[in-house]
Amino acid sequence: MSTPAPAAARAAAAAPPQRRPRHQSRYLFLLPALVFLALFSLFPLVQLLRMSLSDVTASTLNSSWLFVGLENFQEGLASGQTGDALVRTAVFVLVVTVIGMVGGFAGAVALRTRGRWSNVLLAVMVFAWALPPVVNGSVWKFLLADAGLLNVVARAVGLTDTALPFLYDQHWALGAVAFVNSWAVIPFNALVFRAALLNIEPEVFEAAALDGAGRWQEVRHIMVPSVRPTMLVLLVLTIVYGFRSFDFIYVMTYGGPGTATNTLPFLGYLQAFSQFNFGLGASTSVVAVLVVLVLAVLYARSIRKEEKE
Amino acid sequence: MSHSAGPVNTIVKILLTLMYGVPLLWILLTSFKSSSDVFAADATFVFRPVVTSYVEALDGALVSALQQSVVIAVGTTALTLAIAIPAGYGLARTRGWAVSVGLGLLIVLQMLPQTANVIPLFQIFGSWGLLDSTLGVVIADSALLVPFATILLRPFFRAVPPQLEEAAAIDGASVLRSFFFVVLPVARNGVATTGTLVFLLAWGEFLYAVNFFLSPGTYPLSALLAQQVSAFGINWPGLMALAVLSSIPVLLVYALTYRLLRDGLTVGAVK
Repeated sequence: MSTPAPAAARAAAAAPPQRRPRHQSRYLFLLPALVFLALFSLFPLVQLLRMSLSDVTASTLNSSWLFVGLENFQEGLASGQTGDALVRTAVFVLVVTVIGMVGGFAGAVALRTRGRWSNVLLAVMVFAWALPPVVNGSVWKFLLADAGLLNVVARAVGLTDTALPFLYDQHWALGAVAFVNSWAVIPFNALVFRAALLNIEPEVFEAAALDGAGRWQEVRHIMVPSVRPTMLVLLVLTIVYGFRSFDFIYVMTYGGPGTATNTLPFLGYLQAFSQFNFGLGASTSVVAVLVVLVLAVLYARSIRKEEKE
Repeated sequence: MSHSAGPVNTIVKILLTLMYGVPLLWILLTSFKSSSDVFAADATFVFRPVVTSYVEALDGALVSALQQSVVIAVGTTALTLAIAIPAGYGLARTRGWAVSVGLGLLIVLQMLPQTANVIPLFQIFGSWGLLDSTLGVVIADSALLVPFATILLRPFFRAVPPQLEEAAAIDGASVLRSFFFVVLPVARNGVATTGTLVFLLAWGEFLYAVNFFLSPGTYPLSALLAQQVSAFGINWPGLMALAVLSSIPVLLVYALTYRLLRDGLTVGAVK
């Protein structure tokens, strides 16, 4: 920030008092994004909607589609696939959100202190967050394998005789993948919480210490209230992150065993690209898009709240 | 008063150190193991390091995958920034219902599951001749990341005082000129932060690459990794070697921009 600042200061000083708003000309700056997103984001959404109302398979993908109304949606609901996926998605999102938020906040409180350990740990965590999900997913698949590190340790401490089926059991797999997803989001949440905590005036802590507040009271009465606006935004972001997650599922279980880790977005993908029923996959994805619309409204509200405070 | 760690803080830090240190260390250790040592209990920590996996991994296919990754990540970063910088600035400097609608739309687009985009894009790219082409993947990745980048950039442009531009206008600079020579230099931290994140996300993207490239011969590293890890009979040392090799560029970018990410990310990501 060395060169532009002095020049900027000079320019600001030279500005005459009257303002000349020229807002209208800034609209042109939006044009490239408007054209690009209309072609490659909005048009695909229209196609997705059309596809969900048509009978489309891999062979009819690029010919004319037969309009079938809500048949795809009915098929998804009647076979129980959509309902099951919604339940699994809810469980998945709940696990990711609870561990992600609690872990993020605890991490921020612990890493708020300066010192070599905190600095290095924060750097390692942010690096893990920056790594591609394929890399992280591969490592965790390896750690959770029958002869992987977690099972080696579990056996060494006498927790179990047989390998724990983290990724092969109907009930464990969803939780295991959700845990890895929250592992991936904790560093980001910790970073955001930490920034909010660093904004608290040191005098507040000093006053609390004079009043004889303990550590828990510091956390409960100073830290939690001061990060509340941030927490709301982060909560919605974490829910969205958990909801749209597919990369760890793809890498670690590919929806299996059976259908145990088919969350709504991933089910839509499998229906289209594994069963080649593009109409059915599109209808499942449309349901996912509707959920996103609800979450987006919540997000917009939480931002407005934070900007007000 | 000191903020030195209490017992709970220390436990949290030990837990986090194990949770994040061990997996990273594990990739590295495994990549230097021979196939027979991978799952041998007595070779968990003590083993004879070999570079077999790297030697095996480093063939022509890997070099071309690496090349693809670079082209896709750099191309996506360039295209995304070229579109998102003006959009972020435009949204920062206009008012009224158009901005609310635009921002709302961007938020929705940013939140859409990528699996919902890949279905129609596969069909559209098929009819537009963009399947099995690097350009197609770059466009798809950019469409995915432009909303995110624009939302991230807007507060950085809002922080640039409008008086600077008014002064430049009085000196006779056009809107375009003051954008390039006054606004952009002041907001360069935001551009660098956004560019870094877009690069990292494009580097790791694999769903579009796996579906839009019709043969693994043209896959980038991330797609190659995704394909190998979901196959049966995984060659773990080979896979971890591939994981390490795909992470080296991330480490480089990360080392250069850690401060920027640590401090800049939190400003833009929440607002």
